[in-house]
This record gives sequence, C-alpha cells and structure tokens, in this order.
Amino acid sequence: MNAESERGFMQKLLSAVPGLALIVVTLVALRLWVEPWMATSVVFGQKGWLVNSLHLNYILLGIIAGMLYRNVIFGGKLPAIFADGFRLSRLLIKTGIILLGSLYTVQAIVKLGAMAIFLIGGFVVLSIVMVLWLSRIFAMERSMTAVLANACGICGVSAAVATAPAVEAKAAHVAYAIATILGFGIATMFISPFIGHALGLTDLQYGAWIGTGILNSGQVLAAALAFNPKVAPGTAVSVGEIWNIMRVISIPFAVFAVTVWYWAGESKREGAAQQKTLGTLLIEKFPVFVLGFLVMVLLTSMGAFGDVGIKGGPPASETIKTLRLWMTWIFGFGLVGLGGYIDFKELAQAGGAPLKVGLIVGVTKYVLALAVVLLIKDYLVEI
Amino acid sequence: MAESNVKIGSETVASAEKGKMTLFRDDRQEDWGAILVAIVVIAIIVAMKM
Repeated sequence: MNAESERGFMQKLLSAVPGLALIVVTLVALRLWVEPWMATSVVFGQKGWLVNSLHLNYILLGIIAGMLYRNVIFGGKLPAIFADGFRLSRLLIKTGIILLGSLYTVQAIVKLGAMAIFLIGGFVVLSIVMVLWLSRIFAMERSMTAVLANACGICGVSAAVATAPAVEAKAAHVAYAIATILGFGIATMFISPFIGHALGLTDLQYGAWIGTGILNSGQVLAAALAFNPKVAPGTAVSVGEIWNIMRVISIPFAVFAVTVWYWAGESKREGAAQQKTLGTLLIEKFPVFVLGFLVMVLLTSMGAFGDVGIKGGPPASETIKTLRLWMTWIFGFGLVGLGGYIDFKELAQAGGAPLKVGLIVGVTKYVLALAVVLLIKDYLVEI
Repeated sequence: MAESNVKIGSETVASAEKGKMTLFRDDRQEDWGAILVAIVVIAIIVAMKM
C-alpha cells in the first residue's frame, strides 16, 4: 500500500481545500468581472465583440483558465497543493447532472424515450461497428480495438476505463484511447458553439446534435453551456444532457457486447472463461449517479420543489430557480477543474492507428449527427 | 507504441493513483459521493426557502 492510498478520505478532503479555493476564485472572477467587462468592451470598433462574435462566456473561459493553469502557469503539472481540489471536478459535474433532473418530468422523458433510444442507440452501434471494421484495415490489436470501440461509441473516458479490464487491455491501450477521444472532444467542444450559432440552430436542435455527436460527457456539458449558459427546461444543456444520459446508461450493455466480440476471437485461449455475464457487468459498471438523476426527475414530477416552469405553464418556483442558479455555479466549478486536467503532453500521446481510427469515427459521428438532426428537426421532441 | 513511454491518461484510470481525476477509490464511490453532495445541496436550498 502506498502513501497515497493510506491517506484517510477526510484528510484528502481537507487537502482539496486549496485547489477548490483556486477554482472558486477563478470562476467568481470570470463570472462577476471578466464576462461583464467583455460584454461592454469595444474590440474592432464593436461593443461586445468578444461575446457576440467569439461567443466567449464564463464556461469557455473557465475551461481555458483550467488549461492555462496546468499547461502554462504550472508548467505541465498541477502543484501538489492544488491537485486534490481539481480531483473533485468530476464529482461536481456528476452532482450537477443529478440536480439537472429538476429540469425534467417523467412525462417529458417518456415522450422523448423512443426517439432518443432510436437515435442514441443507432449512433452507439454505428460507432462501435465502424471501429471494429476499421481495426481490420489498420491492423489494430483486438483489446485496443475493443477499448476504442466503446470510447468512440458511448461515453469516452468512462467507457474506455469500464471496458479495459474486461478485454485484458493494457494501460497503454486505455491511454491511447483516452488521448484520442479527449483531443477530438476538446476540438468539438470549442467549435460546436460557433457552428451552432452560424447555422442558426435552436437549443433543441443543438442539444440533440451535441448530445449525440460529442464523445465525452463533460464535453457535451461544456459545449451545451458554451452555446447557451442558461439552465432551464428546453435549453441546450437540458436537451444535450438527457440525450447524453441515455448514452451513459448504455455503458454496461456496450461493454458486454464488445467483450463478447473480444472473447469470441480469443476463444481458443485459456482465459476465455474470464468473460463476464451481462448481469455481472450491470452490477459492476452501471453508473449509479444516473439513479440519483432519475430520483430527481421523479421528485420534480411529483412537485416536491414546486412548479418547474415548463413553456406555457406556471413560472418556476423560487426553490427551482435557486436550484438552477446553483447548478450553473456547480457546473462552472467542475468545468474549470476539467480544464485543469487537459494535459497537452498527454494528448500528444495519441498517434498511429488508434488516432486515425478514432478521428475517422469521431468526425463521421459528429457530422452525421448534425445531418440527421437537421433532417428530422421538425420531428424532434421538445421537452 | 512503446508502452514504457506511455503515461496514463488524465481521467480516472484505476491503475494510476496519482493520475486519477478523482479523490475517490473508483467511479462507483465517486457516484455515491455525487449523490450525497446533491442531497446536501437540495437540503440547504429547501431549508433556505422554507
């Protein structure tokens, strides 16, 4: 047991305070001073050019600030004093997603269900099949292929990590898959809001597109809030995240399918008995925070927090309004932390066949998702 | 792709304690942690609005 694992959790929490403080100070400065300054400053002779033309807001600036801390100010590595605070960023993003359940009702999710399952399921299967097919052309190892297939198909990092032990993947395979999808995801995270605004997409169309086309949950969140920072029913973040959650739920099923594919090719080896059942994978890999989100939806539907403020209905209650305001801060903190974990040196690890396959599949999915959303825009279910 | 030169990715990779993007032992624990924090946040907001 090393010193790191011997530290008690309370000790770790205490050691997270300096990093959290840096994240909080950063976001407060960006949101209360930098963003208002950008909205009124004159650049190229235009007032508010940074906001109106570059679509910069506190979410994008927060991620950029996090990236600058790690890669420029601290020279490529977060100092030990701040590291534990930044390690809480995923916890904050998951907390925000649970609270996001207050934007939906059970009826709205049921209404969305068939279309989301059809589209999300279609794109998950398409991505996995494409990676398996391309892996033959690029002669990739089976375990590398399996990890990349789920990384591109479902939910980026979580899926790659969940798949790795089931297909005997080496740490290098996971690292290559993560570097590839994070690199691609960061690019989509920054360009999607521009494309969305340029094409005049509505929040519904934009949310459906990025919820389907962007590979990583954190990046879907960032791209949605960068397009429209407002958190309310029908905004980009409410649409994008519900589609993303549908995809996250499919992690155990996709891990099972890819594991079956992997071991089918390894059946002559002794280790074939290691293949796990779908039941075992559901118990081990199901993302439990999604249950928290579903309970939140249920409580909201039962009116536990008052009126939700759905279009055409009564205005949102004070509790719901406060909840939404807090969510924007919680997401903001989480995304500054996420930026702090984007390491340019790690991204440079991506290369060779996994990078080519990951990029081909990622770009195909991203473009095809936009085309499909534009094609069915009149049929998208508003929630 | 020489494995020895590869550093583990930036998010939760179980085998690299120092490279993990979480304070928790694994993703499942982090999920429970997020549920707990969400409950605390809701409790504070509901108490404030009572």
